[in-house]
Amino acid sequence: MGYQADMRDITFQLFEWLPTGQLLKNDLFSQWERGDVEMVLAEALKLAQEQLDPANRDGDVVGARFADGRVSLPPSFHPVYQKIREGGWIGCISNPEFGGMGLPHSVGTSINEMFFGANMALSLSALLTRGASYLVEKFGTDEMRALFCERMYTGEWAGTMCLTEPQAGSDVGASKTRAVKQPNGRYLIQGEKIFITSGDQDLTPNIIHAVLARTPGAPEGTSGLSLFIVPKVRVNPDGSLGEPNDVACSRIEEKLGIHGSPTCSLVFGGNDRCEGFLLGEEHAGMKLMFHMMNPARIEVGLQGAALAGAAHQAALDYARVRLQGRHWTRMKEHGAPQVAIIEHPDVRRMLFTSGAYVQAMRALLLQTSYFIDMTHVTEGEEQERYQSYVEVLTPICKAWASDWGFRVTEWCLQVYGGYGYTADYPAEQYLRDAKIASIYEGTNGIQALDLVARKLPAKGGKAIRDLLGMAEKTFKTLRNDSQLMEPAWMLGAALKQIEDISKGLAKRPDAPIVVLLNSAPFLDMIGDVLGAHFLLDQAVIARTRLGEMLAAAGIASDDKKAVRAFLLDKPDAAFYHNKIQTAIHFAYRVLPLVTARAVAIRAGEVSPVEAIL
Amino acid sequence: MKSCVLMAYVPDTASVIKVAAAGNRIEEADIKWIVSPYDEYALEEAIRLKEAKGAPVTVLTYGPERAQQGLRECLARGADAAVHVKGGEGTFGDALAIAKVLAAAVRKSGPFDIIFAGIQGVGSDNALVGAMVAELLDVPHVTGVVKLEIGDGAITAHREIEGGTEVVTAPLPCVVTAQKGLNEPRYPSLKGIMAAKKVAIQAFVPADLGVDEGALAGAGATCRWKALALPPAKSGGVILKGEEDPAAAARELARLLREQAKAI
Repeated sequence: MGYQADMRDITFQLFEWLPTGQLLKNDLFSQWERGDVEMVLAEALKLAQEQLDPANRDGDVVGARFADGRVSLPPSFHPVYQKIREGGWIGCISNPEFGGMGLPHSVGTSINEMFFGANMALSLSALLTRGASYLVEKFGTDEMRALFCERMYTGEWAGTMCLTEPQAGSDVGASKTRAVKQPNGRYLIQGEKIFITSGDQDLTPNIIHAVLARTPGAPEGTSGLSLFIVPKVRVNPDGSLGEPNDVACSRIEEKLGIHGSPTCSLVFGGNDRCEGFLLGEEHAGMKLMFHMMNPARIEVGLQGAALAGAAHQAALDYARVRLQGRHWTRMKEHGAPQVAIIEHPDVRRMLFTSGAYVQAMRALLLQTSYFIDMTHVTEGEEQERYQSYVEVLTPICKAWASDWGFRVTEWCLQVYGGYGYTADYPAEQYLRDAKIASIYEGTNGIQALDLVARKLPAKGGKAIRDLLGMAEKTFKTLRNDSQLMEPAWMLGAALKQIEDISKGLAKRPDAPIVVLLNSAPFLDMIGDVLGAHFLLDQAVIARTRLGEMLAAAGIASDDKKAVRAFLLDKPDAAFYHNKIQTAIHFAYRVLPLVTARAVAIRAGEVSPVEAIL
Repeated sequence: MKSCVLMAYVPDTASVIKVAAAGNRIEEADIKWIVSPYDEYALEEAIRLKEAKGAPVTVLTYGPERAQQGLRECLARGADAAVHVKGGEGTFGDALAIAKVLAAAVRKSGPFDIIFAGIQGVGSDNALVGAMVAELLDVPHVTGVVKLEIGDGAITAHREIEGGTEVVTAPLPCVVTAQKGLNEPRYPSLKGIMAAKKVAIQAFVPADLGVDEGALAGAGATCRWKALALPPAKSGGVILKGEEDPAAAARELARLLREQAKAI
C-alpha cells in the first residue's frame, strides 16, 4: 500500500480540536486561509506518498556512501529533494521576508509528520537547514542574512548543526574546536566534529554549518563556547560560490537505521584555512544554539510520532488482508474459514494501543506547536506564558514521543508475526529508523534532567502547574460523566500522584539521588497524563459530533443495533466513535503506569546505586 | 497564443465506491474528489507551453460547486485563469450534453489556439468529450497523445497505437487529448497555492452560454444511466493439495482449467 497518513485525525486535531481556524485570522498568517491549508496538507501527503516514500527503501538499502572524501546520497533522493525544495516545503514555516512560506508551526508539524513518516532520512536534512538558517536570521548581520537565509529556506543550500566532538557528546562543554579572530573580523576555525547529520552530501552545492567553538582564553565549559557560521564553500559578496573553505568529511558512520542520512565526521581547518563568521557575541554560543536546538528537539519527538504513525497505518493495512486462523467465536469449528488477523483480539489490542499512542503523541506535538504559534501572535505577559509552556513541553515532546514512538514501531512489527522481521515489509525499517530519535539532539536522559532540573522549577513551577491544571479541568468536567467517569477519575488519580511526588520529593534527605534516578520515569508520568488529558478532551468533541450525526440521521443513541449499522456505513461517524474508544483505552492502559512508577519513586528505591556495577 | 484545458473533477481512484439508493448514481457523501489524472497531463502540457511560448492557460470545468476546488488546484499548479460552468446534475454521464456545454464555454471564453483535455474522465471513462468538443467547435482533434510538438500554426502529435506510434499533424486551433506518458505533471508549490486564491474564478450557468441545460437533461438527453452495480466480490480461490499425489493434483488442475475456467 505504501505510506499512509491518518489525514482524518490530523485535520480533526488541527481544526476540530485546536483553534487553528482562529489562528489563521491573525495578521501574521492572514495570507493562508483554511481552504489553502487543507490543500497544502493534501499536497504534502501526495508528495509523501508519490515521491518521498518510494525512495525510502532505497535510502535504507543503498544508503549514503563515502568515497574519496565525498559523500553521495542514493540517486533516487536527488529528484525527490528537488521537488521538495522547488515546492517551498523546506522553509514552509519560515519567515516570508527571507524566502520562507510563513505557515503556522502547527501546520508545519502536520506536514513534517508526513514527510518524516514517508522518508525520515531525506527529511532530516530539511530540519537542519531550517534551523541553521533561523540562527542566521535571528543573530546574523544584515549582510549574512542577505547571503544565506533565502538560499537556505528555499533549500538551494543546506545547513547543519555541529556540536558533538569525540570527547564532547552529552557534555558539550568539553568541546575543543578553536576559533581565532582575524584582522578582517572573521575567525579561523580548527577542530573535529563528529555525528554531524548531513555534514556532507551531494544534494546542494553549498552547506552552511552552525559550529560551536572556543575562542582563545574563553572560560571552561559551555559558557566559553561561541557560535559560528562556517560555509563548506566560501561565498563571494555577490552570493556566488568562491573557493572551498577547508571543511573536510573524514568518514561517515555505519548505523542501525536512517542509512540514507549521512552521519559525518568533519574536520574544520585541516589546512588552517577554514573561515567562520561569529553569530551574536563571543561566549554566548550555547544560549544562541538553543534557538536551533529547541525547535529541533520538538521535531525529533515528531520523528518518533511520525514513524509510529507510518508503522501503525502499514500494520493496519497488513492485518486487514493477512488471513490466519479462525475467528475467535468459531475457534473449535475445523471447517471455519480463515479470517484476517485484524479479527484476532490480541492483534486488535496491539493495533489499537499503537493507534492511541500515535494520537496522543500527535496531540502533544500539535498542542506544543500551537503554543509556539501563539508566542508569535501575542505580546507581553501572554506571550511569556505561551513561551513558558513551550519550554516545559519541549523535553516532553522530544523524549516521550521518541520513546513511545519507537515502542509503537515494535508493537506494529509484532502484528506481522515472522514477516515483520523480514525486509519484505516496511515494519523493520520503521523500527530501526525510529531508534535514533531517543538518542540524538540530547539523549532522552538529558531531556529528563532538563525537565526536572531546569524546566519544572522555572518561575516557581507556574508553567507546569498551568499545564497540569488544564488536565485537572478535563478531570473535573468528566468526573460525573456517565460514559467517561472512570477514565476521568483515573486521570484525577494520576494527577494526584504527580502532585504528591512533586511536593514530597524536595523534602527528602535523599532527594538528589532519587531525582537523578527517576527523572526519566517522571517525564513519562507527565507525558502519560498529558496524553490522556488530550485524548479525553478530544473524545468530548467527538461525542458531540457523533451525537449530531446520529440525530440528523434520526437514530436514537441507545438503539445499539442501528448505531452499529450507522457506524459501519459512515466512516466519519466511525472516526468519532473510535476517538471516544481511544480515550477510554488509553486511560485504562496507560494511566495506571503513572501510579506504578510513583510507587517506586515514593519508596525511594535506589538499588541501581546500591548495586556493585 | 492562448490555451485552454478542459478539466473534470472526479472521485479519487482510491475512494471506496458505493452505489446510491437511486441505483444509477454513486453515493457521493464520503467521496474524496480529485482532478481527473488524465487532465493533469493536459494541464501540465499547457503549462509547459506557457513556459516555452508565453501562452496563458485558462482551465474550464462544468460541474457542481465542489469543482471549484479542482480549479483552485489547477491555478496552484500554474494556470492563469479559471472558468466554472455550474451545473451538471441533470446531464451527469451524458458525454454529448457535457461537450455541448463545454464547447459553448470555450466559445465564450476564447478564442484559444489549442484546447487540451484528458483522453478520458476517470470514473465514467467514455473518452468521448474531447473529440465531441472538437466536432462541435469544428476544429480538428488528436486523441491519446503521448508526445507533442507545437510549431507555427500546426502541431505534430504522437499517438500510441497497437504495436507502434502514429505521428499526425494538425493545424491550429485544435483539440488535443492527453494520454499517460505525455509528461510528468508537476506538484503545486506552496507559493502557487497561496497565489491561487487571488485569481477570481469566472462563474457561469449554462444559460449564460446560451445552452438550455434542462432540455439537454430532459428530452434532448442522448445517454441515461440506467443502473450501476459493483463488481461481484472475489470468491475465495481453490487450493489443490498435491503433497501426497502430485500427479492426481495436476490432473485435477488440468480438468478445472478446461472445464471451469475454460482456459485450455
